Amino acid sequence: MIGLLADGLALTAQIFVVTLIGALPLGIVVALCRMSRFKVISTIARFYISILRGTPLMLQLMAIMFGPYALFGLQMGSDWKFWACDIGFILNYAAYFGEIYRSGIQSIPRGQYEAASVLGYSRTQTFMKIVLPQVIKHILPAMGNEIITLVKDTSLAFVLGIAEMFSQAKALAAREVSMIPYALAALIYWVFCLLIEFILNRVEKKLDYYHN
Amino acid sequence: MTTTITNKVVSLTGAKKSFGEVEVLKDISLEVEKGDVLAIIGPSGGGKSTLLRCLTMLETLDSGRLAYGDLIVAENGPSGHAVYGSKNVLAEAKTRYGLVFQNFNLFPHFTVLKNIIDPLICVQKIPREEAEQRGRELLAKMGLSGKENMVPCELSGGQQQRVAIARALAMNPDVLYFDEPTSALDPELTREVLRVIRELALEHTTMVIVTHEMSFARDVADKLIFMDGGTVVERGRATDVINNPQHERTRLFLANYQEN
Repeated sequence: MIGLLADGLALTAQIFVVTLIGALPLGIVVALCRMSRFKVISTIARFYISILRGTPLMLQLMAIMFGPYALFGLQMGSDWKFWACDIGFILNYAAYFGEIYRSGIQSIPRGQYEAASVLGYSRTQTFMKIVLPQVIKHILPAMGNEIITLVKDTSLAFVLGIAEMFSQAKALAAREVSMIPYALAALIYWVFCLLIEFILNRVEKKLDYYHN
Repeated sequence: MTTTITNKVVSLTGAKKSFGEVEVLKDISLEVEKGDVLAIIGPSGGGKSTLLRCLTMLETLDSGRLAYGDLIVAENGPSGHAVYGSKNVLAEAKTRYGLVFQNFNLFPHFTVLKNIIDPLICVQKIPREEAEQRGRELLAKMGLSGKENMVPCELSGGQQQRVAIARALAMNPDVLYFDEPTSALDPELTREVLRVIRELALEHTTMVIVTHEMSFARDVADKLIFMDGGTVVERGRATDVINNPQHERTRLFLANYQEN
């Protein structure tokens, strides 16, 4: 039983990590587009955020999974479900992360940009060296919240037939006619979250050396 | 070919700037020569800050000509609107001036030393050792030795402003602008910052200072401009203008100050 749950946990962890690797940077792009001076770009970003936050992630996963066939008659390979899962999670979380980044970017006083401009920093340098590090400190609590949610949202991969931990627990529960696998899975999710909280606290402490 | 030797560090002619319907700068001209200390005084909303922001390219001129030494930053095009130079020209211009803000605007996540040397390393591509040496020297000069590894929030306002001055000086600018450098400070901290600026004046650092400290302006500046309503109402030697203003508006403004 533990072996199967561990297999599931490996997939759960994989979805979690891939989503963060994809959505954390993509969220910055979403935020920058959303704040763009160009109306077309900001409108597209606004629409993107609205759709991805306004529909269930489960439906989004299914749309990506079955969309290629339903729309274009494309037969996708057997491992498409893993791609669909990662794409769906990344796109969805990028929308949420984007809004969190935006709140952080807007909290940076104008004077920071002005000082950087007068000192001759380029726009990219200003963003990467001056703005982003301060944004990260600002948004860490909100980001932490969202990351913890992601741990548990990975169970939605269940609908794509991916054998992550929740799917394994469900299969085990059916086979053994027992609730124990569910309880164990719950415990493992919780420990996973505890670990994330621990890491987030460490980062928060590390960034505590200054305040604005 | 002849090269004209010019001591003009900054020259601004016919500067105009409006925000919507409001004309904030109405045809302002000024020149700063090497070693000048120019004070700009006047009531709030008179255009002083906007002038400084246009000089430092934080705002763009609607029309007028701005040059740093021989480098033309902006000039009126055929349509009569100011046309700015290329990216390279603007980048070069930024090496020629520094600005000290009212609210310091230090980078809170950098240490004191990094605030000073990071622009040197990142923008001016100066080797780290050299930048650090310059940074430490300037901190010593500002009376802040030993604070290198602190972060700005651990310092008093006066200390932060002195770091900001060191940061601006580190770039070796031709002219140093101050936008009400003591307005965010209490009287005691104001004194320590003004003392530093006084020392810079004694070393003939070229400075343009927007200030509400009249006696300081009179003592430190050699030239002075009184601005109101987007125009230069009066200009001249600092002592002359403050001790013996010629215009009614200047007299009223200064009289109000003496009352306070």
